[in-house]
Amino acid sequence: MVDVDEYDDVWVFVEEHAGDVAGVSWELLAEGRELADAIGDDLVAVVIGEGVDGVAEAAVSRGADRALVADDPVFEPYRADPYGEQFRRLVEDRKPSIVLIGGTHTGRDFAGRVAVPAHAGLTADVTELDVDEDGLLQARRPAFGGNVLASIICEEHRPQMATVRPGVFEASEPEPDRSGEVEPVEVVVEESDTVSEVLERETGDTADITDADRIVAAGAGCDGDLEPIEELADALDAELAASRAAVDEGWIDGARQVGQTGKTVRPELYVAVGISGAVQHVEGMDDSEVVVAINSDPNAPIFDHADYGIVADLFEACPTLAEQLRDGEFEPEVIA
Amino acid sequence: MTEPWNVVVCVKQVPDDDEVTIDPDTGRLDRSSAPAVLNRPDRNAIEAALWIRDEVDARVTAVSMGPPTATAVLKEAVAVGCDDAVLLSDRAFGGSDTWPTSLALARAAEELDADVVVCGEETTDSSTGQVPPGIAAHNGWAQLTYVEDLEVDSDDERVIARRDVEGGHERVAADPPVVVAVAYGENEPRPAGLHRKLFAENEFEPPTWSAADLGVEDEVGLAVSPTAVGGMETVDPVERAQAVVDSPGELLAALDEEGVV
Repeated sequence: MVDVDEYDDVWVFVEEHAGDVAGVSWELLAEGRELADAIGDDLVAVVIGEGVDGVAEAAVSRGADRALVADDPVFEPYRADPYGEQFRRLVEDRKPSIVLIGGTHTGRDFAGRVAVPAHAGLTADVTELDVDEDGLLQARRPAFGGNVLASIICEEHRPQMATVRPGVFEASEPEPDRSGEVEPVEVVVEESDTVSEVLERETGDTADITDADRIVAAGAGCDGDLEPIEELADALDAELAASRAAVDEGWIDGARQVGQTGKTVRPELYVAVGISGAVQHVEGMDDSEVVVAINSDPNAPIFDHADYGIVADLFEACPTLAEQLRDGEFEPEVIA
Repeated sequence: MTEPWNVVVCVKQVPDDDEVTIDPDTGRLDRSSAPAVLNRPDRNAIEAALWIRDEVDARVTAVSMGPPTATAVLKEAVAVGCDDAVLLSDRAFGGSDTWPTSLALARAAEELDADVVVCGEETTDSSTGQVPPGIAAHNGWAQLTYVEDLEVDSDDERVIARRDVEGGHERVAADPPVVVAVAYGENEPRPAGLHRKLFAENEFEPPTWSAADLGVEDEVGLAVSPTAVGGMETVDPVERAQAVVDSPGELLAALDEEGVV
């Protein structure tokens, strides 16, 4: 047990890889700002990497009162052990009350390396955050296949840590004139202490569906034939996504999976094609602005979660939709 | 390599998530009807552990923390080829969150002199994914998570993993002892052999280690778990118009009106 009153401030880990900041970090700064204001604390960005002063300044423009910067070649590219040790030392020395980390593979990889030695409470894959009147963090996360939202609290340990699912909060726009302090911190990790080595890192070949404005998602109903769905996605200038069924079958890359075990998306338009609409899938797309369902089964649950539905064979409906989109003329041709 | 490696694979018995239902009136979970099964991602973990043994001289021990009924998933692990299994079972473990759970597993891995600890990416019942990094953190060991493919570099005695990272992949080498969390569905688990299956079912009984055996009796259970469930609420889905249209043209006209095409 610790004296919880010794701990204050809201920290957000700013995840960057070779200078590229993960979008969820900006989302967390926006949400962290609200939490910090609610409890009257400062919002602190934690930036770890090499040559990251620009990232720290960007964090200030996105709402941080202060940015702590650990700048050293040992931090590029990311590895769990040096990141974890550096962050752990910062937590031990400065005692933050709340620490928010993006629920990316990177964030979920190293959060435990901070929480375990700190004996901190760590809640995984959070989708809602709140503080009660005593300043206690309520970290809500889906449980049991997304049917239930469990509220996780941490009363007697600090910091209160959470990894937060990307895409659930909206990032705020940067304000270039916003002022805040950028503070370099002592780097406590040496290369000789590390127990892992990144041999190669290749990124950029996989789309990030969490940023897409339009998404066409394929489900089990496509039976492995993605052509009509890709054609529709192309005509809509949309990103291709998938339900777990389609990913498990190996038809589509796991990085494009929407749902509880995949990603949360919030596009303007979400077209679910041949997706039955299991609760685990709906959870990942329920924040979409307009949802369209195309399914041959009129009783598929997806229709309950859609603004517009067509009961039709996707192999007929998708090409027709694509054609009409390309022509720019929307003909009321009925599809059985 | 001179000494054979000790590979520990962590497995968990979970309610079959396809069978967990919600009472529509009370909003309460009905888990009583759900059969207890081996956590699906752990099948990939067992396969990865056995694959390591195919590559290098190694001994594979399955470990599970849970009630006595969890013996069933250890027998399953032995049936597919694990050499041995240990059950961590004690009332003292009750109510443990990921912090004490990963501590108990970390101590068991030390006790078994593990070179590699293999876990599934996450469990289907709580899906935190926090236990594998937790084990590594408790022991100060290396970790490789979201692993899609493994190599064992026997000259340098290193484990090399292809990891899935946002927007791509990376290859990372780590010095044993190392904790490896295997991404779900990334390998094809082998079936149990008949003789091994009969042995596991009829003859094999895993030893049970208590919290005191692991020296963690004051560091596990509900009381030392940093997190607690503060409440549960059922999720209200977003209200949707649910308009069924008859033709693609009608749909596109509506979407045009909404300003999304």
